[in-house]
Amino acid sequence: MSSRKKTLLKVIILGDSGVGKTSLMQQFVNNKFSHQYKATIGADFLTKEIIIDNNKPVTLQIWDTAGQERFQSLGVAFYRGADCCVLCFDVTNEKSLNNLTSWKDEFLVQSNVSNPQDFPFIIIGNKIDVDDSKKIPSLQKKLHNITHNQLGGLNYPVFETSAKDSINVEAAFEVIAKMALQQEELNAASGGDVNDDYNDAINIHLDGESSGCGC
Amino acid sequence: MATTQSTNSEEAPITPKKSSMLLDPNEYNKSDNAANSHQRNDSSYSRNFSLIDMYGEEAASSPTGPDSNDHGSTSDEQLDYQMLQSLDEFSFGEISTDHNVSQQTITQIRDTPTPQPPQHDEDDDDEDRLEIRQQYVIPTSMGNETKILNSPFDRYGFRKSSTHHGFTLEEYNDWFKEYSEYSYRRKKKWELLMKSHGLPIQEDDPVPTRFPPKSDKVKKMIRKGIPPEWRGNAWFFYAGGYDKLNRNAGVYHQIVENTKNIHNKDTEVIERDLHRTFPDNIYFNESIDANGNTLTVPLHSKETPLIKSLRRVLIAFAHYQPQIGYCQSLNFLAGLLLLFMEEERAFWMLVILTERIIPKVHSADLEGVHTDQGVLMLCVKEYIPQLWSILGTTFEGERLSDDQILSKLPPVTLVTSSWFMSLFVGIMPTETTLRIWDILWCEGSKTVFRFSLTILKLCLDNPEFDGAKHSPGGEADQIELFQFVQNFPKKILDCSNLVDLCFKKIGGYGFGSLSQDEINKCREFVSKQREMMNYKRRLSTKMTSEERYTLMNSSDGQLDGNNDIHDVYGFHRPIMGGVVWNRSISNKMKKTFAKRNSSRSST
Repeated sequence: MSSRKKTLLKVIILGDSGVGKTSLMQQFVNNKFSHQYKATIGADFLTKEIIIDNNKPVTLQIWDTAGQERFQSLGVAFYRGADCCVLCFDVTNEKSLNNLTSWKDEFLVQSNVSNPQDFPFIIIGNKIDVDDSKKIPSLQKKLHNITHNQLGGLNYPVFETSAKDSINVEAAFEVIAKMALQQEELNAASGGDVNDDYNDAINIHLDGESSGCGC
Repeated sequence: MATTQSTNSEEAPITPKKSSMLLDPNEYNKSDNAANSHQRNDSSYSRNFSLIDMYGEEAASSPTGPDSNDHGSTSDEQLDYQMLQSLDEFSFGEISTDHNVSQQTITQIRDTPTPQPPQHDEDDDDEDRLEIRQQYVIPTSMGNETKILNSPFDRYGFRKSSTHHGFTLEEYNDWFKEYSEYSYRRKKKWELLMKSHGLPIQEDDPVPTRFPPKSDKVKKMIRKGIPPEWRGNAWFFYAGGYDKLNRNAGVYHQIVENTKNIHNKDTEVIERDLHRTFPDNIYFNESIDANGNTLTVPLHSKETPLIKSLRRVLIAFAHYQPQIGYCQSLNFLAGLLLLFMEEERAFWMLVILTERIIPKVHSADLEGVHTDQGVLMLCVKEYIPQLWSILGTTFEGERLSDDQILSKLPPVTLVTSSWFMSLFVGIMPTETTLRIWDILWCEGSKTVFRFSLTILKLCLDNPEFDGAKHSPGGEADQIELFQFVQNFPKKILDCSNLVDLCFKKIGGYGFGSLSQDEINKCREFVSKQREMMNYKRRLSTKMTSEERYTLMNSSDGQLDGNNDIHDVYGFHRPIMGGVVWNRSISNKMKKTFAKRNSSRSST
């Protein structure tokens, strides 16, 4: 049975209520956006098969979660076995940016991953289609403070996206898939040594890309 | 009329006219205390017993027997009050101050071809809540049915079908053609029932505010569906809404007044959820026109009256029940209520629901959700053992032993949790949800369990479920199962069939035999067990996370293992006393059991 299995990569999307987690997932998996998504209760997931790197087909299983704090007590079991965690915020909502650290901590506590120090996280700032005047003032600086603070520990790749206009969503998930695959291989090798080089490589690669989108 | 009053006179002594708001001063005090103590219990979170107390409360206040129901709400004084209410709301053209408005309302109710986008003629600032409320539900009548058939929206203003639904527009219309005839026939039967109880339907006031007291006959009628346009009043009546409202006259409007300009964590989330409650309903989304086109007006530029009501109700509720505050999914409950009744009533219905029917389900720790999922899983194990053998595992596919069920709830509970939190709103097609709500308000929380079991059993019996069935165990199978259970309810358009399956002993699953008493006992058991487990967990969390981490790894989850163990609930003893098994079903069940046991022992 297991020989027939494709590589399944489990991705968890976390973030405050209303930052656009469902929209991001829908945009990536079904290439559509709607103003008609209802608030997510509990958790939901979709799968999508993609081909990454050297023609390797993988199945992404993307878990969309409820953003309200109290729902965390429900949806912890499925964090386990995650291969990548996406931390989302809304570029017009500063609180959602400041909460990224708690989302990450919560994830690490609940997922019980074997390598909390270098588990692959990625940060997505969504809703860049919104008018500049509504965006968090000096966002880049604040983002930089959060992601380049060695002590705070959110030095992860950042993507600024618009699920509405389908900007950067595909690119973000491609990186998510690569990072997840790396993690999955790491786990498959029964928790051997962590490959720091790879994560660094991703970081460097992305820094260029995310600043390139010029938001 | 005679029936109503004779049954009531014993329970609700007529009090002097002056205290027309109170049925019985003693009862008033009693319940007032109960309400207070309820709040006290919850405000101190360290004391965890409040849930158990509350589960007693539903049993006490909504007994299941047909003759012992709380229809104290129809004493003379109350009838007066109800009539006043009904005058305020439903007598078009009689006491209206503005003749034009009332005329317009009448035309809308009687002849609306398609649901109209909400009227914005009232000025935003002038929020006089005594104004005549627009009737949002298109009444059942031969003419209306064909008009609904040709409209992109259903009777309640929801888009009939979209990509989020589990069926196409054609499928909806095919179902509706038949169902609208059924609705029409049922309405005629209800009119007869009303007449036989001395409550004939008046030409000029076609929506009754008083209903026959609960009885076996009435229960049967309700299970077959309440006429859509009567639902708001009927739910309110059978849930004990009048009683609640009378004891709290003016309270809602006072809270609304007091919370007018507040901003806090709850209001922030509420604001974000207002427009994503029913984005596919014309009364909640100003950018849909009557033909179903989405207009390109700036998003949320103009709020519909129901969005405003929804905001007020949710903010007032968060204020009134601070131990709950605002919990996502309350927006769906309040939203659906608002389509059927004015906001003060919707508010009290939310209170009744969260205090009595599904206590703590929306509280900050969602303790009630965990408890009810534990109860549901124990029920699945008891009543649908074949399904339990598939879903009774952890996410990793590891089998759950009897003393682990409550501590490691199976993955499927992530899906069923939302059934309990939103009471099937958005989970199933609208009419199906409404049929369950008809029963829920009259019969109480056991309804949620009965229908959850019915849906799960339907999943099991579905041929497409085979894939998951043949290969139990393993994470991939759990995921498949999860997805199936998640998507399946969206397709259950045939609501009458669902109700029949739930209750019918022959040709159905007979879950009507699952009594409220059993649910209460089981809830009490689960909540005590959870309390014990949480206590153990709290002890272990006093360690630092590193200590815990090393301990868990070194001792192969020994710490975790200790927390897992709880008592095992014995269903058989209490339940067999209350169950009247049909002989053929019990034989069938015996065979299944025997088969299952033999297959289990062979493996």
